[in-house]
Amino acid sequence: MPSVDPRTRFEELARALVEPLRRFLARRTDHDTAEDALADTLLVLWRRLDDVPPGAALPWAYGVARRSLANAERSRRRQVRLAAKVAVVDPPRERPDPAGPRDDVVLDALARLRPDEAELLRLSAWEQLTPAEIAIVLDVTANTVSIRLHRARGRLADEVRKIEAAAGHEVT
Amino acid sequence: MNDDDLIRRLHAADPAAGLPPAGPERVTHLLEDTMDDQTTPTEENRRRSLLPWLAVAAAVVLVAVLAFQTRGHDDATTTATDRPAASSGDGASSQTLTVGEAGTAGKCLPPSAQYLAAATTAFSGEVTGLQDGLATLTVEEWYAGDETAEVVVRAPSEDMAALLGAVSFEQGGRYLVAADDTGRLMVCGFSAPYDETLAGMYAEAFGG
Repeated sequence: MPSVDPRTRFEELARALVEPLRRFLARRTDHDTAEDALADTLLVLWRRLDDVPPGAALPWAYGVARRSLANAERSRRRQVRLAAKVAVVDPPRERPDPAGPRDDVVLDALARLRPDEAELLRLSAWEQLTPAEIAIVLDVTANTVSIRLHRARGRLADEVRKIEAAAGHEVT
Repeated sequence: MNDDDLIRRLHAADPAAGLPPAGPERVTHLLEDTMDDQTTPTEENRRRSLLPWLAVAAAVVLVAVLAFQTRGHDDATTTATDRPAASSGDGASSQTLTVGEAGTAGKCLPPSAQYLAAATTAFSGEVTGLQDGLATLTVEEWYAGDETAEVVVRAPSEDMAALLGAVSFEQGGRYLVAADDTGRLMVCGFSAPYDETLAGMYAEAFGG
């Protein structure tokens, strides 16, 4: 593997990661911030190519994307935008297609949770990561993830029940 | 409603479910841009519109490493020049901090979020390069200051040794680093190898 040209290695790896990373970021921020964070994430990936853990590139990259996103959002809050787009082409704005009726209840319930709990649930349900993989993203132990995930599910269920009860929905 | 139902509902509510894939051409562009960025890491062509940032980079001069002076290790940091300088020409993808030596005695305050909050540059990062008097830190998270992907700490070799002695930058190590508004690297336990306690203090000082 080390004998392969780094550019080739990076291209191969990054092509596999770009789509999951785009979805990861689209789930968590607006379009422009996602684009910035994606560029930064790829840059870190390129510069730390040798650090990417074999077999766990995706959760590792999600971890980088989280930090890039936090930086991008902090920067966005604080600064006037400074024409810092990295993208050469400005593609038409893509919007998630609301193909079916959205389950706003579960999204509202998610928004009521503590940020770290909500993030665990997103990583589990949307990125479909195992606790061991989530542990890599969040830099904690898999055991901790399992415990917190269990608790977070319970809290999400509670919030869903509360919202549905308040709306007069049938509570199951 | 059991756990499986709940996760199914959550999964079905995925906001990115309908996100169309990026076109292959765009991905190619993106990857090429990324790799070009790396081939000229101190280029001036990336985000060069960040003039305010350059002003900050020019202002940030890390001058003193005084970590041990009040801990009875005066000889650890005494040899250095008195001509700190910051490079401001590195473009916005990295910033260069120069370590000099103030030649004045420093007092170590016990690390606290309250004092740390005075830092105008604070970040966590990993040392991804360490040679020729340059320690390159790839930033993981910015707490304060103008975000760049990397921070390079540049110093004459003696100063570098002093820096290494004080902060113990090691290749591949993860650090929390802070500098105050006069350009002094905050040592004395403020800039140190990453640990959760110190990270918590950084988060507290800079509001997460």
